[in-house]
Amino acid sequence: MSIVRDYMMRSLNSVTVDDTIEYTIRFMCKREMGVLPVVDKENKFLGTIYVKNIFKNILPERYGFMDSNKIFHEINNAAENLGEIKNRKVKEYMQTKIKTVKEKDNMNKATNVMLKNEESYLFVINDKGYLRGFISRADLLLYLLNVSEGEENIEKE
Amino acid sequence: MITTVTLNPSIDREYFVETHKAEEDCYVYDDEKLKVSPGGKGLMAAINLKKLGYPDVQNMGFVGGRQGLFFEKMVQEYRITTNYVYTENEIRNNIKIIGKDPVTYTQFNDYTYKVNEDNVEEFIRRFKRGISDSDLILMAGSIPEGIGFDIYARLIRECNKKDKDVFLQASGEALKQALTEEPKIVSTYFKHTHKILDKKVKTFDDYVEMGKEIINRGVDHVIIPFHCDRLLFTKDEVYSLSPLNFCLKNWLGAGDAYHAAFFDYYYQYGFEFVEANRRGAAAALSIAENNILFLKDEGQIEKNMDRIIVKQLEGY
Repeated sequence: MSIVRDYMMRSLNSVTVDDTIEYTIRFMCKREMGVLPVVDKENKFLGTIYVKNIFKNILPERYGFMDSNKIFHEINNAAENLGEIKNRKVKEYMQTKIKTVKEKDNMNKATNVMLKNEESYLFVINDKGYLRGFISRADLLLYLLNVSEGEENIEKE
Repeated sequence: MITTVTLNPSIDREYFVETHKAEEDCYVYDDEKLKVSPGGKGLMAAINLKKLGYPDVQNMGFVGGRQGLFFEKMVQEYRITTNYVYTENEIRNNIKIIGKDPVTYTQFNDYTYKVNEDNVEEFIRRFKRGISDSDLILMAGSIPEGIGFDIYARLIRECNKKDKDVFLQASGEALKQALTEEPKIVSTYFKHTHKILDKKVKTFDDYVEMGKEIINRGVDHVIIPFHCDRLLFTKDEVYSLSPLNFCLKNWLGAGDAYHAAFFDYYYQYGFEFVEANRRGAAAALSIAENNILFLKDEGQIEKNMDRIIVKQLEGY
């Protein structure tokens, strides 16, 4: 039975609660990722910040997130809103109470969490809570593909 | 976790061709004749540590542009934990063309990579938290344009604050400034200048004098390459380390294997400076006598251990 360590991406690219939204956006662009883990000064995992956490705070409320073409008429409005919050801290927009898995957890556990969860990335920590990497939905699909081809056995935890 | 630092990484591209002639087109159809790999001193040591079975090895540094993402993916293939600051400038590419008949070797060393002041400050912030759960830290290699020569000193200062042991391999001004922070172990690197701490080294006595000078500046242990040997310095003793019946085929990667095996011993058995060096030298021998870049396993080290002779030098 594979464990999380077999499928995870080992990346410690992260932001802290005190980094700004502008820094976070630029970081996301360079890394081509729509989510970053948020850590404390010791690199312990605290939560996540997704692009949706930022969008929610700059799009006019009446349109909601990504559900209307009218958003194009409101570009200036969104840009102005972003200008206002870009120097604010990540801690104001991050999500906490995020489920995580540990490196030695088996992949069943990671699969359960991701299939029930709306998060597209599942972050991986070690026994002491330090960030270790993440499992993406693509990693999960690769695992399921291997299961379907008989290269993985699913066992009860 | 073991953290390695590579401030100036590269994408290395090696082309193996039948004949390499100037002003003539060369065609490569066989993918075995083209090797693309991530390069950089700290990183190569990290790859060796993974080959020796270490689960948690981190590589920190700068990478740039779109090729930076490609570089990170290549590093991830080795299951190394990556922690990079992304810069606007593209990461550098080193090109090597190896001709078979006649035997030729042409290398383009790319030193165009630049980072800016904001990148450096970001890296320092990331480094402070990135080493929190590291037991050992290896810093090695050149520094790109845009980074001050005090960079290693700044990083070692952060390690000292967190009581982390540092192994530094550096040269020139960066080494000189780093010594002010008294790293635990220093290995000098000076093939471009043949100078250590601004002084030309030529004779055996020159090397010994510089080893002692570095010890006097507060370093616990010093390693200085002396032709095919190494000179090892502690506060009170000087040793020479030599391989028996050494047959050089390839230098590339030998130093990195040395560092990895040194750390391997340190991690497993505690800090025994001379023994850790013996192990490092045995690993380097495996690389230098074979056309390989990385260690395969511990067995490659074990088989060379008896060929590494260490002697304490009297009167120094």
